[in-house]
Amino acid sequence: MNRVELLQGTLDMLVLRALLFGPLHGHAIATHIQRTSEDVLRVDHGSLYPALYRLKKRGWITASWEPMPDRNREAKYYRLTPAGKKRLASEHSKWRQLARAIGLVMEPAQ
Amino acid sequence: MRDLRFWRWRKAEEDDLDRELEVHLVLAANERLEAGLPLRDAQFAAHREFGSVALTKEELRDMRTGAALERMWQETRFAARRLLRSPAFTLATVLTLALAIAANASIFAVVYRVVLHPLPYGHSDRLVALEFGMPIRNVPKIYYMPSRLYYQYLDRAHTLDGLALYMGATELTLTGQGTPERIRVSRTTSSLASVLRMVPAQGRWFTEAETAQGASPVALLSHGFWVRRFGRDRNVVGRSISLDGVPTVVLGVMPASFAFPDSRVDAWVPAPFATRTTATDGWVFAAVGRLRDGAMMAEARNELTRLANDLDPSYPNNGYKFVASTATTLLDATVGDISVTLWILLASVGLVLLVACANVTNLFLVRSEVRQREIAMRRALGAGNRAIVHYFLTESTLLSLAGGAAGLALAWVAVHILVAVGPAGGPWWANLPRLEEVRLDGVVWAFTFGLSLVTALAFGSIPLLRFTPLAQSLHGSGHWSTQSRSRYGTRYLLMGAQIALALVLLTASGLMLRSFQKLRAMDPGFDATSTLTFRIGLPRIDYPDQGRMAAAHRAIIDRLSALPGVKAVSASTCLPLSEQQLCQGGPLFIEGQLPPPGTIAPFIAIRAVDGGFFATMRTRVLRGRGIERGDVEREEPIVVLNQALANLAFPGQDPIGQRVRLGNPSLARGTPEWLTVAGVVANTPTFGLAEAAPFPQFYIPIFASRTVNMGPRLDAMSYVIRTTVAPGTLTEPIRRAIGEVDGNLALAQVRTLQDILDRAAAQMAFTMVLLAIAASVSLMLGVIGIYGAMSYIVSQRTGEIGVRLALGGEPGSVARMIVRQGGLVAVAGITVGFATAFAGSRLIQSLLYGVSPRDPGVFAGTALLLLVVVLLACWLPARRAARLSPLDALRTE
Repeated sequence: MNRVELLQGTLDMLVLRALLFGPLHGHAIATHIQRTSEDVLRVDHGSLYPALYRLKKRGWITASWEPMPDRNREAKYYRLTPAGKKRLASEHSKWRQLARAIGLVMEPAQ
Repeated sequence: MRDLRFWRWRKAEEDDLDRELEVHLVLAANERLEAGLPLRDAQFAAHREFGSVALTKEELRDMRTGAALERMWQETRFAARRLLRSPAFTLATVLTLALAIAANASIFAVVYRVVLHPLPYGHSDRLVALEFGMPIRNVPKIYYMPSRLYYQYLDRAHTLDGLALYMGATELTLTGQGTPERIRVSRTTSSLASVLRMVPAQGRWFTEAETAQGASPVALLSHGFWVRRFGRDRNVVGRSISLDGVPTVVLGVMPASFAFPDSRVDAWVPAPFATRTTATDGWVFAAVGRLRDGAMMAEARNELTRLANDLDPSYPNNGYKFVASTATTLLDATVGDISVTLWILLASVGLVLLVACANVTNLFLVRSEVRQREIAMRRALGAGNRAIVHYFLTESTLLSLAGGAAGLALAWVAVHILVAVGPAGGPWWANLPRLEEVRLDGVVWAFTFGLSLVTALAFGSIPLLRFTPLAQSLHGSGHWSTQSRSRYGTRYLLMGAQIALALVLLTASGLMLRSFQKLRAMDPGFDATSTLTFRIGLPRIDYPDQGRMAAAHRAIIDRLSALPGVKAVSASTCLPLSEQQLCQGGPLFIEGQLPPPGTIAPFIAIRAVDGGFFATMRTRVLRGRGIERGDVEREEPIVVLNQALANLAFPGQDPIGQRVRLGNPSLARGTPEWLTVAGVVANTPTFGLAEAAPFPQFYIPIFASRTVNMGPRLDAMSYVIRTTVAPGTLTEPIRRAIGEVDGNLALAQVRTLQDILDRAAAQMAFTMVLLAIAASVSLMLGVIGIYGAMSYIVSQRTGEIGVRLALGGEPGSVARMIVRQGGLVAVAGITVGFATAFAGSRLIQSLLYGVSPRDPGVFAGTALLLLVVVLLACWLPARRAARLSPLDALRTE
C-alpha cells in the first residue's frame, strides 16, 4: 500500500514537472518523462490518465482541446495552474529532502 | 429531468475520454512509423504498449463522481435480469412476500390510524374523558357524571381549562323533507366546540344563551349527514328543519373530521342540562375536558376526586364520597380495549411475515447453493467479499421491494374495502372506533418500505453466513458430494423456527375458536329464532307526556298483533345487548333496609316493558310471574327482577312480595312509590355477551313508568315480534301498519334478535377470523417450506441413498431415516413453540371467554396437528427417495 502511494505521489510530481514549461498532451507528457529520464522511467499509460484525472480534479492542472502544431488534429492539452505550481514546489522540496535522507543512509559520508 | 442531465453529462465525458485515448494511440503509432516500422506493426506496438484501453477506461470511470450510483444501477439491472431468468422462483418469492407485507401494512394502517394517530381535534393530547371508579358500587367504571359535579368542576378545578357535557347519541325523527328518518343526535353544552378546539366548516357553533331552557331550538349538522340528506346544499345554514316535529334552525355544518363522540352522529343540538340552581345528582352526563397547560393527568385526577368528595357533606348518599376520578386521555377512552385486539393482530401478522421470510430464505438458499460454483468462479476471478455481498443483497432487495410494492397495492384494496363497507352498513367491524380515519398515509408507506428493506436484509444475508471456503467449493464438483450434516443446519433451523411460529399462531387461533364456540353456546336468556325487532320513536311535539306515549305504543302493539304471521308482539325501552349499553340505570332501595354504613345502594339497569314481553322473548320466568297485559292496564305497581338482581338484593330470601323503589327515598320528588316484586326472570346480557357477571336488571310495566321515580322515558321503544313466517317478509306489512297508526313515525334498526346476537359476538368473530387466517397462512407456508426443504435435502442425498440401497439397505429404513430427521426437527420446533405459546398466551387472556389461556385441549390438539402435518410433509419426499432404484440413484450423480 505504501509503495503504491509513493509511486503514485511520485508520478503526480513528475507530471506536474513535465508541465512546468508549457502545456502538453498526454502522449507528450509520457514521452517527456521517458526521454528526460533517459528511458529509465517508463510511464504506464494505464496510470497516466488516472493521474491526470486526479490532478485535474484537485485543481492543479486544467485541460482543453487545442490544435496540435504541424498536425491536422486536436489534442487535449494539460496546463499547470498557479495552485499546481505551488504544489509542485512543495512536492519538489519534500522529494529533495527524502532523496537526501535516503542518500545519507545508503552512502554515509566517508 | 435531473437524471436526463446526468446521463447526458456522462455521455459527453465518455466521448471526451475516447477521443483523448485515440489521439494518444495515433501519436504513439506515428512515432513508430517515423522510426521506420510498417503501419500495422506500429499500430500493434502502440496498442501493446498502452495496455488494455478498456481497463484504463474502467479505472477512470470508477474515479468519476456518480460512479457508485452508476455501479449500483448496473448491479440492479444485472440482478433483475438474473431474477427474470428464473420466473418461478421470482414469482413465488414476490407473492409470498406480497401477501405477508400486505397483511402487515393493512393491520399497521389500522393500528396506526386508530390507536396511535392523534384525534382530529386541536392539541388533542390534552383532552381528557372524565371517567370515575366507585369501588364499592357494583359497576366497574362510570362514564357519566351529574350536572352538580359539572358546576363544581367548572367553578373550582384548576387543572382543567374547559369542560363540556354531552350525551351520547339519542334518536330524533327528521320530518318534512321526504321520508321521515330517525337521526342520531348528540346533546352538548355550548363549550364542546371550544374544548375540542373545532370550528364549524360553515356557519357557527351555538352560544351559551342558546342552550338555556326555552331558547329557540338550533342544530349543527355533521358533514356526512349534510352530504347524505341535503346534497351539500350551502344554503342549508339558516334554514329550519323539523326534528321530532320541532322547527329547528340549522346554525352550521361541522367539518368532515368532526366525529364526536362517534362517527355515527348526524347532528349536535344544545342541551339545557341544568343551571347551577337546578343541578341534580343523577350520574347521566358524559364529560370531556381539556387539561390546563402544565397540568399532569395524575394531578388532575387527584383534584377531580377531591372536588367530588367535597360535595358529599352537602349532598349525602349520592356516591360523591366514594368516587375516585379515573380520568383518561380522550384517545384511550375513544379507542377503548379494541387496541389490545389490534396490537395482538399486528403481532400475529408479524409472525406470519417471519414464517414467510423463513420460506423465502429457504428458496434463496437453494438458489445460492445451485450457484455455489458460479460464486466460487467469481471469487477466483477476483470478486471481493463486497461484490458477493452486493450480488445477494441486490437480488433480495429487489425481490422484497417488489413484494412490498405489490403488498402495498393489496393493502390499499383491503383498507378501502374495510373503510368503504364500514360506516354505511352494519357488518361486524362497523363498531371499530375511528374506522373512518383509517387510510394508507405516509407513515404506513414508510413502515412498509422499512419492513421490505429489513426483510431483504434478513433473507439476503443468510446465504452469506454459510459460504464454504473458496477452494472447497471449487473442489466440490458435484460428484459424491455427500454434504456434511452441518450444511443442512441452517435448513433445519429454519424448519424448526417455522414450526414454532406456526404453533404459536395456531394455539392463539385455537384459543379464540374455543372462546367463540363458548360464546355462541352461551344461553343468552332469550330465544333468537324467528323474531324481528325494530325501534319506534315518538316525536315529542305529538306525544308530549309519558301517558300519551304509552298509549301510542299500546295502539301500535294492538295493530301489529292482528297482522298475519305474527305470533306475539311486545316492546321494551331497551333490548338485551342493544347498542351494548345500559340505557337507563339508578340506585335500588329496599323497603325496611338502608344501605349499611360505608356502602351505597346497588346500581341497576331499568327497563319498562309491555305485557307479555318475557313470553315473546321466551325468557324463562324462574319464580312468581312475568308482567302481563292486565298488569299494564291496571297500572299495577309491580316489578320483575332478573336473577342477578334477586341474588344481589335478596340473598337467601324469597324476593316475591318484597317492596323496592328507585332513587333515594329521602330526596325523591312527591310521594315515594313502592313497587312489589312479582317475579324473577332469567338473566339476559346487558353490555356484551362476554360480560364478567350478569348485570342486575329490573323491569316495570310501561304505564308505571309515568309515575315511578326515575322511570325510563317512553319516547322510543324497541319492539319484538315472534313470527310464524320468515321475519324479513314482515317488514313491509309492519311499516304499513305503523303508517296507519301515525304517518310521521319512522322505523329504525330493523333486525332480528339473531342479528343482535351476531353483532355482539362480532368483535370476537373478527379477531378469531383474522387470527385463523394468520395461523392457516403460516401453517400453509410452513408446510410448503418444510416439504421444499426436505425434498431438496433428499435430492442432494440421492447418491448417498443409492449407495445405501445398493449395499442392501431396506427402502423402509431409508424412508424412516429421513422422516426421523424431519421428526426430530418437528419435535424441537414444537417444543420451542409450545413453550413460547405457553408463556405468551396470557397476553391474549383479555380476549378469551370461558377458556383458560393454557387450555390443555387446545395446546395438545394444535401440537398434535402440527406434528402430523410436518411428518406428512417429510414423509412424501422420503417415500420418493425410498422408491428409487439404486441404479437410478447412482446415475443421477
